Amino acid sequence: MRRGLLVLACCFSIPAWAADSLTTAIAADWLKRVADAPRRLSYEGVFVFQQGDAMQTVRIANRPDGSGKDSRLTTIDGVPREVRCTGSESVSISGQGGQAKFERRLNSRHFPDLLPTNAERLLAWYNLKVGATARVAGLECRQLELIPKDHFRWGYVLCADKDTNLPLKAVMVNEHGQPLMQYAFTEVRFGDSGTLPSAKPSTGAAEVPFLAAGDALNIKQLPPGFAREVAIRRKLPQHGEIEHWVFSDGLTHISLFIEPMAKPFMPVKGESKQGMVNMLVRQVGDYQVTVLGEAPWSAVEAIAMGLEPKPR
Amino acid sequence: MQKPALASDNENMDWLSALLDGEADDDLEGIGRLARDEALKARWSEYCLIGDALRGLSQPSGRVPERVRVALSDEPTILAPVVKPRHRPALWLAAAATVAAVTWMTMHAEPTAAPPVRMAMQSGPAEVAALDVVPYLAAHQDYAQALTSSPEMHFSQVALALPEAAR
Repeated sequence: MRRGLLVLACCFSIPAWAADSLTTAIAADWLKRVADAPRRLSYEGVFVFQQGDAMQTVRIANRPDGSGKDSRLTTIDGVPREVRCTGSESVSISGQGGQAKFERRLNSRHFPDLLPTNAERLLAWYNLKVGATARVAGLECRQLELIPKDHFRWGYVLCADKDTNLPLKAVMVNEHGQPLMQYAFTEVRFGDSGTLPSAKPSTGAAEVPFLAAGDALNIKQLPPGFAREVAIRRKLPQHGEIEHWVFSDGLTHISLFIEPMAKPFMPVKGESKQGMVNMLVRQVGDYQVTVLGEAPWSAVEAIAMGLEPKPR
Repeated sequence: MQKPALASDNENMDWLSALLDGEADDDLEGIGRLARDEALKARWSEYCLIGDALRGLSQPSGRVPERVRVALSDEPTILAPVVKPRHRPALWLAAAATVAAVTWMTMHAEPTAAPPVRMAMQSGPAEVAALDVVPYLAAHQDYAQALTSSPEMHFSQVALALPEAAR
């Protein structure tokens, strides 16, 4: 009888181990396909972006460009705004009251291109759950849940087009599965329909940051999976030139701003209404540090508390 | 204090008290009436005795009823009025509100694609008034998603358990 139980246990354990391994491979494959689709596909469409009470409708057109992409996003309600994203940067042109404002952005992340390259590395910090099919913008899509393994990041629920794997919907969710921010196509069509018109010329007003040594403070510890991606010096309105570091796990981005401390102060916590954006301002040595990101408070706090002054 | 010609008993007693306190010295008509009114004279004498006894200036005479004498001798000398402590809920509320104002400083920012507008602070000390989240949010969005709107923010002071080395 005992031997029978052992055999039975082995029978169950082997398929379980195999299934787990298979799931990881499938999950990595899913993530890769969904991450690559927005960059390799030609598509045009309209999506709705919703965050709290705010809602915006955006027209998007994308063309693959070598290993990167060339995409244009135009708001079709509210303040007129156009964002042109290429390889690693974006240009935002907004106009209100007849005045155009030109901003150079330092990345090109936007819906539906939200997942990083090498997206399979996310599986170290998120579990992937492939769910049921749904219908978005008249197309069948497969639900994919990126469930954080800890409390240092928000989760995502994507719905990827069954034919092309393009995310038709993306929802950032909190630890209770409640939506914090979401994007969803209302219409989308695939295929090349000509090149995109070039972006409006720069007014030359855009500030160009430069790389910083990134050694103003010591990073004692970071939340699991987070690494520093950027350390630059830049001018911030009303703050002068300050240091800006960005930490990321590939999906969650948290900024750290380091500036000389004007006067001693109590630490201040900031949070957005739905708790999506968290912020902590504190003193580290002679510096005022501001940590900010679309991440749970525990991640923002962990980064802020993981800093220490450089030994003199 | 003028004593009316036809006064009630209470008014008579009030007038006698005033006279005793030197506040009705000029009421000659009243004083003349006191001299003629035996009941009023008796009351005046009692008032004087009571006053003297309270001040310890004289031994009560035999004309004072014994129970009054005993009661007077037992009565402690009151040197200063004792004010019963009163709860001051309004002050506590005010103090709590001050603490709350220090602890919870609420500000709102509604940054948009428009030029950064300095955040309005609803309440709180000056060091938090200097905190302006808009430039940070705008700079952060260089690395966040290209279209994220900047949400309304709420701020509060926090106590952090800082390791000594990190201060």
